Amino acid sequence: MEIVVCVKPVPEPETRLRAAADGRTYDTEAVKFVLAGYDESAVEQALLLKESIPGSKVHAVAFGPSPRTEEVLRASLALGCDQATWVEAPSELRPDPLATAHALARAIRPLPHDLVLCGKQAGDDESGLVAPALGELLGVPDFGFVVDLRWDAGSSRLTFRRETEAGEERWEAPLPVVVAMQQAWNDPRTAKLPAILKSRKVPIAKVAWTPLPAELGPTVPVRFELPPPRTGAKIVEYKTPGEAAEKLVRILREEAKVFP
Amino acid sequence: MSARVLVVGELRDGHLADPTLESVGSALALAGGPEGVVGFLAGASARSAASEYGRYGVADVRVAESGSFDSVPPAFLAPVVVATASETRSDTIVVGGTTFGRDLTGRVAARWNAAAANGVTEVRLTGEGFLVRRPVFGGRATETLRLEGPRRVLSLRPHSFSAPEEKPTEVRVTPAAAPEPAPGLLGPKRVAVAPIASGAGPGLTDAAIVVSGGRGLRAPENFHLVEELAQALGAAVGASRAVTDAGWRPPSFQVGQTGKTVSPQLYIAVGISGAIQHIVGMVSSRVIVAINSDATAPIFKVADYGLVGDLFEIVPALTAEVRRVRGL
Ligand SMILES: Cc1cc2nc3c(=O)[nH]c(=O)nc-3n(C[C@H](O)[C@H](O)[C@H](O)COP(=O)(O)OP(=O)(O)OC[C@H]3O[C@@H](n4cnc5c(N)ncnc54)[C@H](O)[C@@H]3O)c2cc1C
Ligand SMILES: Nc1ncnc2c1ncn2[C@@H]1O[C@H](COP(=O)(O)O)[C@@H](O)[C@H]1O
Repeated sequence: MEIVVCVKPVPEPETRLRAAADGRTYDTEAVKFVLAGYDESAVEQALLLKESIPGSKVHAVAFGPSPRTEEVLRASLALGCDQATWVEAPSELRPDPLATAHALARAIRPLPHDLVLCGKQAGDDESGLVAPALGELLGVPDFGFVVDLRWDAGSSRLTFRRETEAGEERWEAPLPVVVAMQQAWNDPRTAKLPAILKSRKVPIAKVAWTPLPAELGPTVPVRFELPPPRTGAKIVEYKTPGEAAEKLVRILREEAKVFP
Repeated sequence: MSARVLVVGELRDGHLADPTLESVGSALALAGGPEGVVGFLAGASARSAASEYGRYGVADVRVAESGSFDSVPPAFLAPVVVATASETRSDTIVVGGTTFGRDLTGRVAARWNAAAANGVTEVRLTGEGFLVRRPVFGGRATETLRLEGPRRVLSLRPHSFSAPEEKPTEVRVTPAAAPEPAPGLLGPKRVAVAPIASGAGPGLTDAAIVVSGGRGLRAPENFHLVEELAQALGAAVGASRAVTDAGWRPPSFQVGQTGKTVSPQLYIAVGISGAIQHIVGMVSSRVIVAINSDATAPIFKVADYGLVGDLFEIVPALTAEVRRVRGL
């Protein structure tokens, strides 16, 4: 199976966020970028499939500026991906999700792709738009919120589960398909030192970025806001559990107004 | 300045789902009245539910009435939605931000060459343009975006918009244009749907109130304390990773960095210490309550209200008090 996995560099989850000087986006100065959380699940899923289906290959694809995008591709190679393609974005560009989907589709179209794996949403903008847009641009079905993806060799179909408001759905799908992963059902692996060293020598293919058709209106960031810092809990004093309960319920109804 | 809005509806138990009513509310505001709003529904019971749009003054309803829409991927519906938007000369598509709506948005945006945003909590059409506000970074920040160009697609975060006032009108139901789907889209089959363990699943991310339990509960047989409090409050049930890793509850209950991100009106953390990986999944909740026997637990730094004490005493008392005031 030829598997493409889309990986995005995002700030480490523990990063202390600050607004940029112009107040429109966040400040990327001194921020450490890592592989997005759900993308780790997608890479892990890709590697598990590769290990279970002889002759499979995993190709990591990313769109973004230097150096962080190249770094997440190197990290994906170190985890076990076989090849990598990078669509380098101009550093001043703040790409919106649709532009990203167009850039990725352009890179993926010429590659063999039975299965395109993405994360459900990236840990920064959480747009959740790239995977479905990619499905449309590649002309294949897409599925979001997927867990537990397996290959049924007998029927040549993928089987997977999705959690929706309707319940837990089970699906079967022939290839090709785009899948956005919800969460790994087994913990993503970490890269070992020899693999990290070896991955440095793998050449990364580059694809040029081209601007979008003017008809597609861009998404322009206007304001980035952080909530006021939380100052610590107001501790409710009480003598008996009954009093604690009574006081808290009164606060929640009258002061916080969270239930009638 | 006003928009022409197509609302993509979703049915639950044969009726318009709450997120659809919220979409209608927002559409009426954007369009400046019901004349600029068109309702859309797909599925076996699309026609019978279409009249429900009329309750809110929306008279023009397009339906794709076929049971096949009930169990196909969003890829299948996108061409119908886009054709309907073009036919009704809509410039904006609004859908509830459920798993259905969030998957549909990107697909439709790519097909319609529209700017798009998921999980929107505020929309404004002003001299500055079409502005949307949405939480990012797991709710730790919010961004405001201007969606430029002639068309846009939005999914609205559940509970962020109010359902519209009732203003009944007669509904005109028109079958929606249904372009032939590409053959490649017909392959996938939904083979089963099973109800999700109560409280967890996407219900958790949408819930107005969430009660989560942690290792402080000591053993799986004590978790019912959390579930009873949740039931009294009409809340969804969550858990820390300590609980899901130990197998007391399935992974779908987990709140945090590697689990679900929630931002309800009220989050109650029971016997949870407040590790950073848990905090990032719930810190954007409006009001946070922590119940923990350790006064120095980090959860009290992000909570609004804290009860320091033994959860085995406090939680049953709290459940009883909630039941009393709610007349249960
Ligand atoms: C990469 C990574 C990702 C992670 N992702 C997540 C994630 O998504 N979600 C998540 O939750 N965790 C996550 N974790 C784990 C996280 O670091 C913590 O280990 C976990 O959240 C702890 O769960 P807990 O608070 O239930 O347990 P503990 O930390 O053991 O806390 C139990 C609390 O219960 C209190 N307590 C005990 N007895 C009582 C009593 N009788 N009455 C009242 N209070 C009592 C204690 O004072 C204590 O504060 C992750 C960790 C890593 C390394
Ligand atoms: N710049 C990018 N490069 C590669 N993959 C991306 C990029 N942006 C988004 N993706 C993929 O799309 C998923 C969803 O991202 P988003 O739609 O931005 O929330 C991510 O988890 C990635 O798998």
